Amino acid sequence: MKTFEYGDNEIGSKEVTMSVASMVIGFGVLTLPRTIVSTTNSIDGFISIVIGGILILFFTWILGMLTTKFPKKNLHEFTSLIINKPVATILTMIFAFYSMLFVSYEMRGTADISKLYLFDDTPVEVIGFVFLLVVIYAVSGPSSVIIRINLMFLPIVLCILAVLILLNVNFFEVKNIKPFFVTDWLGILQASRETIFSFLGFETILFYNMFLNKPKDMVKSALVGISIPFLLYLLIFLFVIGVFGTEVTRNLLYPTAELARLVEIPGGFFERFESLFFTIWVMTLFTTAAMAYDVTLLALKSVFNKVNRMTLIFILSPIMYIIAMTPQNVLELSIFGEWISYIGIILSMVIPVLLLIIAKIRGVKVNG
Amino acid sequence: MLRHIFSKSRKSNKREKKNQDVKIPSLIYDDLTENLSNIKKILDSPSDLIVRVFTIGESGQSCAVVCIDGLVDKELVNEEIIKSIQISCTKNNQELPLSGKNILTELENKVLSVHELKKADTLDNVMLAILEGDTALFINGINQVLLVGSKGWAGRGVEEPMTESLIRGPREGFTENIRTNTMLIRRNVRDPNLRFESNKIGRRSKKDLIVCYIEGIVHPEILAEVNRRLKCIDVDDAPESGTIEEWIEDSFLSPFPQILHTERADKVSTSLFQGKVAILLDGTPFVLIAPTTLASLFQSPEDYYERWFIGSLIRILRYIAAFLAVFLPALYIAIVSFHQGMIPSRLAFSLAASREGLPFPAIVEALLMEATLELLREAGIRLPKTIGQTIGIVGGLVIGEAAVQAGIVSPVMVIVVALTAISSFAIPSYSAGIAFRILRFATMLAAGIFGLYGIILVYIMINIHIARLNSFGIPYSAPFAPAFYHDWKDLVIRAPLTAQHKRPQYVQTVDDTRSNKGDENS
Repeated sequence: MKTFEYGDNEIGSKEVTMSVASMVIGFGVLTLPRTIVSTTNSIDGFISIVIGGILILFFTWILGMLTTKFPKKNLHEFTSLIINKPVATILTMIFAFYSMLFVSYEMRGTADISKLYLFDDTPVEVIGFVFLLVVIYAVSGPSSVIIRINLMFLPIVLCILAVLILLNVNFFEVKNIKPFFVTDWLGILQASRETIFSFLGFETILFYNMFLNKPKDMVKSALVGISIPFLLYLLIFLFVIGVFGTEVTRNLLYPTAELARLVEIPGGFFERFESLFFTIWVMTLFTTAAMAYDVTLLALKSVFNKVNRMTLIFILSPIMYIIAMTPQNVLELSIFGEWISYIGIILSMVIPVLLLIIAKIRGVKVNG
Repeated sequence: MLRHIFSKSRKSNKREKKNQDVKIPSLIYDDLTENLSNIKKILDSPSDLIVRVFTIGESGQSCAVVCIDGLVDKELVNEEIIKSIQISCTKNNQELPLSGKNILTELENKVLSVHELKKADTLDNVMLAILEGDTALFINGINQVLLVGSKGWAGRGVEEPMTESLIRGPREGFTENIRTNTMLIRRNVRDPNLRFESNKIGRRSKKDLIVCYIEGIVHPEILAEVNRRLKCIDVDDAPESGTIEEWIEDSFLSPFPQILHTERADKVSTSLFQGKVAILLDGTPFVLIAPTTLASLFQSPEDYYERWFIGSLIRILRYIAAFLAVFLPALYIAIVSFHQGMIPSRLAFSLAASREGLPFPAIVEALLMEATLELLREAGIRLPKTIGQTIGIVGGLVIGEAAVQAGIVSPVMVIVVALTAISSFAIPSYSAGIAFRILRFATMLAAGIFGLYGIILVYIMINIHIARLNSFGIPYSAPFAPAFYHDWKDLVIRAPLTAQHKRPQYVQTVDDTRSNKGDENS
């Protein structure tokens, strides 16, 4: 007799792939081309993305190796095994704090860009508040709900991106992407740092690990999941530069969304494709925020075992809202984002490597 | 919270039930007159109770036939019970042994030429049988009763289903008689593994309820869950399968139907072959099918009767219709009041011209028209058929036209509302159509406040809700998410039947192969 494969909270490998991809695709893609060309020229940013992507693939592999060693365990549990409990608690708390900031950042980004593309005079506070409410609705259920949501939304988001790129083929000019190799190495490396920032989010697998029903597939599916945004970034960067050229891109706030502005729908059904594009884009911003929130809750729950999930939500949500509304302008928001990214790099790259090394040295083995 | 309240009320109901049972005397005495007077006392001698006392042949032993007029097949009672007892015992000059048990077996074996015969020891069972339309045969001196199956009342014949008509496909629909319904299923499913599990529902109404499934296909856990939930039901009466549905559904706060209901025998048999469970209730032509997913709301039997290409296209059309039914008025409101720039300039001019001088904002206009439409629809159902059409014309055409001419609503709004109405009828499941109608109002309000941003947030919320919903342990969003790619062959498109060798995987059937590859040797 077969048993139910999905009645409980377990997730399969394709769910991991989809979740990693939709966690990574978020607010970062919209600004990525601008941040890359701020230190590179013409198409050279391509190299930066490739360098960043390969680095990220490597660290995803490390994360995968780490989590595969400890099936069905989350960050707190396996850090306790590798080092000891106090360190694990501190690390998990930092992680919770980081993903909480991530939610705030994503929420504020959504509110800002909604105001830019959809509203004229609705205040950012209200837009952000409604968004947070929907995120709260999502995280008040079990984690598997959010993962299922990813499965439903990612195809739609990829479709709208495909449409965006296809409809821009006419505007692509080869002269914009020439000449090649005109940037110095320092610029390229700086740009790849920016790329790494927008790849952050894959560290969620440190917590979703405990739902996985086939832990062995983790590495492969996480790598496939990262490859999706990797290819996407390359394609979008190519098109943004091909359409706008380096100089224009540097001065666009959200170059990817601006790409949508050029589009003319064949048949003239409606105009201003960017409104539609952004409306759909809210979906991926939502999945990123909801998953980050979910990870915050999972992290806190692993430390404070007895606290109710709803209680945590009630405590965290006002804090997140206040943090999100603190930056006064776009500049402050991007500084905020940069700081989050630095914490993210430490948590998702440095710490897993250290953990893996310590685990190897001490020969920690999971029993059963 | 609400679940708690419910479970408490269920427990308290059971306590009352015990008190009820004590009142009825449940013994059958040897004395015939005492038994008969007991029955009369319990039923309070109603006018439709028939008690016919006579003697068995020439033996002189008295017996009585008890039944309810109208529920029984009169001819059967007269010819096969009364007449055969009277005649056969005299004609053959056969001496019947007068001692107790023998007379019963003698009657059973040689006299009563009926196919359905049971013995009963308690008055409870006898009463239930009489009230169901069986005939009880009391014999003086014996504390056992023979129950003859004699159900035969006036009922509707097998007709074409009213609510789910098809162009191509069998025309048989279920009736109010549960036996006819099991017959219709049996005729479609000639598998010896087809199981009918009988239950009684309703503390007072004691209606027949049959759980139907095919053993060897259905997943045992789903079946166990259905049975477990059915056991929880404790009501006075279950007038319609809707009562059952409400008791056993997963979430009563959800607008989406978590159990499908149908009048079509072929739909039930197809579902049984897919590994689902059907629940039949006596007295209603609507049969419940569980578990149900969102995708199955969009499936109609016709998809499989027409060629796959047509079936696929129609199904795609239904998904578009559902989208329009939920989002079209909201999109109109959002675009007209927030994102005028999205409309191509030529259309924008004509839109603006049509909206010139209108007293209300788009959201009020839309709510007004949608409410009128719901009103018309409701009135159309209640009215007699002949007048219904007239009301449709008067309401739809005259009011719409007059409202436009009076300058209350814009003509584009009328188009939008009409289109949504048509779209919501294109969905095969009526209760799913209602769900979409409810959601439409939510999206309209959101669009009125936040424009496109509001619509996408409501869309996300609907998706969260669907992802959370379960139907008997099956995620409502399956096979989209959790993804069962194999089942996508029969999801938005309906792949050729020769390409669908497996049963739906999301139902986790025990025997998962539907057909072999079209091989001549097999």
